[in-house]
Amino acid sequence: MKSSRWVRGRILAIAMVATSTSAAIATRHIFAAESPVTTQPPGQAAVTWSGQIAPLVYNNCTTCHHPGGAGPFSLLTYQDALRWGPQIANVTSSRYMPPWLPEHGYGDFEDERRLSNEDIALIAKWVKTGMPEGDPTAAPPPPKYSKTWQYGTPDLILTVERPFNLAASGTDVFRNFVLPYPLKQTHYIRAMEIRPGTLQIVHHANILIDRTASYRRQHPEQWKDGVPGMELEVDTGNEFDPDSNFLFWKPDTPVLVEPEGMPWRLDPGNDLILNMHLKPSGKPEVAWAQVGLYFTDQPPSKQPMLLQLEHDSALDIPAGQRNFAVEDALQLPVDVEVLGIYPHAHYLGKRLEAWAMLPDQQKKWLILIPGWDIDRQSVYRYRNPVFLPKGSVVHMRYIYDNSSDNEHNPHIPPVRVKAGNRSEDEMAHLWLQVLPVNTPRNGPDPRLLLEEAWMRNWLSKEPDDIIPLYNLASALAGQGRHQDAVTAFRHLLALHPGDERALNELGAALQNSGDWEEAEKTYKQDIAAHPGTCDARFNLARLALKHDQTSEAGRQFRTMLEQCPSDAAVHSGVGVVLASEGQSVAAEAEFRAALQIDPHDFTALYNLGDLALQASQPQQAVGLLEAAVQQRPNDTDAHEQLAGAYALSGRVGDAIAQLREAMTLSPDNPGLHALLSQALASTGQLQQAIAERKVALRLRTNDPDDWNNLGVLEARAGKIAEAREDFLHALQLAPDHAQARANLQHLPPS
Amino acid sequence: MTVLIRASLLALAMSASLTGTLAVDLNGHPVEQLAPPGARAVVLFFAASDCPISNRYIPEVQRLAKEVEPLGVRFWFVYPNPGDIASVVRAHDAEFAINTYTALDTKQTLVQMAHVTITPEAAVFVPEGAGLREVYRGRIDDRYFALGRERPQAMHHDLEEAIRAILADKPVPQPGGPPVGCSIVTLQP
Repeated sequence: MKSSRWVRGRILAIAMVATSTSAAIATRHIFAAESPVTTQPPGQAAVTWSGQIAPLVYNNCTTCHHPGGAGPFSLLTYQDALRWGPQIANVTSSRYMPPWLPEHGYGDFEDERRLSNEDIALIAKWVKTGMPEGDPTAAPPPPKYSKTWQYGTPDLILTVERPFNLAASGTDVFRNFVLPYPLKQTHYIRAMEIRPGTLQIVHHANILIDRTASYRRQHPEQWKDGVPGMELEVDTGNEFDPDSNFLFWKPDTPVLVEPEGMPWRLDPGNDLILNMHLKPSGKPEVAWAQVGLYFTDQPPSKQPMLLQLEHDSALDIPAGQRNFAVEDALQLPVDVEVLGIYPHAHYLGKRLEAWAMLPDQQKKWLILIPGWDIDRQSVYRYRNPVFLPKGSVVHMRYIYDNSSDNEHNPHIPPVRVKAGNRSEDEMAHLWLQVLPVNTPRNGPDPRLLLEEAWMRNWLSKEPDDIIPLYNLASALAGQGRHQDAVTAFRHLLALHPGDERALNELGAALQNSGDWEEAEKTYKQDIAAHPGTCDARFNLARLALKHDQTSEAGRQFRTMLEQCPSDAAVHSGVGVVLASEGQSVAAEAEFRAALQIDPHDFTALYNLGDLALQASQPQQAVGLLEAAVQQRPNDTDAHEQLAGAYALSGRVGDAIAQLREAMTLSPDNPGLHALLSQALASTGQLQQAIAERKVALRLRTNDPDDWNNLGVLEARAGKIAEAREDFLHALQLAPDHAQARANLQHLPPS
Repeated sequence: MTVLIRASLLALAMSASLTGTLAVDLNGHPVEQLAPPGARAVVLFFAASDCPISNRYIPEVQRLAKEVEPLGVRFWFVYPNPGDIASVVRAHDAEFAINTYTALDTKQTLVQMAHVTITPEAAVFVPEGAGLREVYRGRIDDRYFALGRERPQAMHHDLEEAIRAILADKPVPQPGGPPVGCSIVTLQP
């Protein structure tokens, strides 16, 4: 269970001006006052469409303003520009267009859609001098826009099945469409494109990944038709799997391409929830959309995380209040790079600020929006990541105007406004996409530390809220602080008795803290209270497996095959049971079934690799174990198994590299040093082999095999006296060690 | 803010209409009579088929027209831009289900008569003697207060209030702010 993130958008280009016809009337119309056309003063170069204006328009406007684009009219040709020229001058000088809210200089954002003062003056001059075309042959060719997918044919297209009929008039509509992910395999997504059926009515769209189909469960009757609402909350499931990417769409960025190494993931059973901000056009419209997904085989190599500041509980804005301030602050427990930022308020938001105070008390601006407009909201991505060292405090400060002077105020006369999901309620949210950096290799996942800091901050504002209570306890468990997690889950259950998931997680925390009897009792308590639960049953089964109660484990897993057949981990679990019963063929079938559902299921990959090794198929084992290591690069056993597979395939160099990799994770594991010694010896690196064997012996002094093997190495190196000592040491520890005795006898006299 | 406008007598303009040069309908026939006999008021709604704000007002204007036409108010959708030729407007009327009287202001006579500059903008006339007198000119309501700046919904329905005042024989309130939308395209000589 985790929080969600919101949804909100930005403006569609609206309306524009043409020429004014009446100077008398123009004085009372702020947009119609166009200066009379003047001729070019002698000696000054003329500003022409072909020379200066077309390049400006093509670079800044036509992404939306092309035929079939999101803009209400095209600006691809000179004739188009002539029709709308005065209006272009008008909306650029007021900075209504191109749409861009952040104040320049308070955060350096990529794709900053902001014209320079010089550009704006150039447009004004062009209009003032009669909008000359110049030499048409000198004009740059207009950009080409695909009428279908801008990014090429997607690997998977999801379509809104039941379009929504948008009324001709009325207030803006926020609608959530559920798009089930139909595949039976996990995929990583490197890019996404959204194609609304009618572009002009879509202000913006936001996509949330619902890992557990929770939104459908919240709206069993409605979800197929779409659900109204500006904000939503989804349940992210049991695994610590925080949202990592902003999936925010606006008309001028139809394709979202994720940075290298940061794809996002879709698993079987996931839903995408498409939240669309729709604007009535004056005639009935049909709102629908297609979402195109582009896959990559590469799992993420970097793991960013979306982090939230908020203070909704402070939102209680009296009617008429003009400067109502809401603040929040979060201290960062690790070094991060901020990649993107998404400020969010509704209609009363006026001024939105975010900054960081660095440990040296230097203030670093993250964003400043002096004139908030919900219709123009956006995710902003930094041109270069913003480094914030551990200990920095991120601040948000939002000002709200609930007076009748706020033109966006939905209530005239104003009414008291609190936080809520309806557009006329308010919100005070700030989302950051952060990438933890400078992470110690053997420390906990830095995202867990961020999660802990976030949840403690949340609880300081809302101490009884089950979401931060749960997430905090989970973050503690994830860090291996099991006793702290037990305490935190018990605290949660005292406030929210009988909670299914908390009971299961309490069981897991108890089990991990070594109290498996209490864990078993807790799982059973959960299953008794919630017979349909898969999680507690799964954990109970694994616990049974661990204690060699394979029949009990098998019983639980097989019950689960009926209750949750699409769960790869259940198939892997059954596979492990079968393998432990010696039923290799049946076990392999279950592991393969798991991989059908989730090609990245570690347990299945690892155990299939193991089975391949047992069946003397080292090359097949290499492929499987390489995939397993990719899934869990911090798993020592997987590295060790892979090293074994390499060695059996004759790739001793790769085996040595894997063992060294494993040793950085577990430097004090004597078995790894012994294996490395063996591998080094097989390539003739005797001295290094001896050194590694000695390290192994420092870590486990009483292993007769190690002493015997050291003796063999010393003998090969010509150190007969040392070898003799080693064999004798082995025999001292194990007087019937036949090999040591034989080796001793074969030694030449010293 | 209340803006006073000149109340101009438009008898000459009316007589011009009788010559067939005032405007034409979608079949090219001259619009000879803006106000049918007995009308209490005439409303000209200046529209443009390619102006999004103008289009977004169509349902509101049609609602109002439907309500007040039985009370003696004649509504016209007037298209003044040169690009809005009959075929374009016919398609636009069909697309937006416009079933109000439609005039093509091909010579922008009505624009000059009403002194409008923007679509969407409305002008309201009352019969006076042999002609018409303009009593209201400006925005439909206050939903838009600048380009790109709009309220979630309108708070003041200026045009409707003006029409209701005429029907109630009360002084006609004037618009509280400027019209916002797309400037009317000047006819090239």
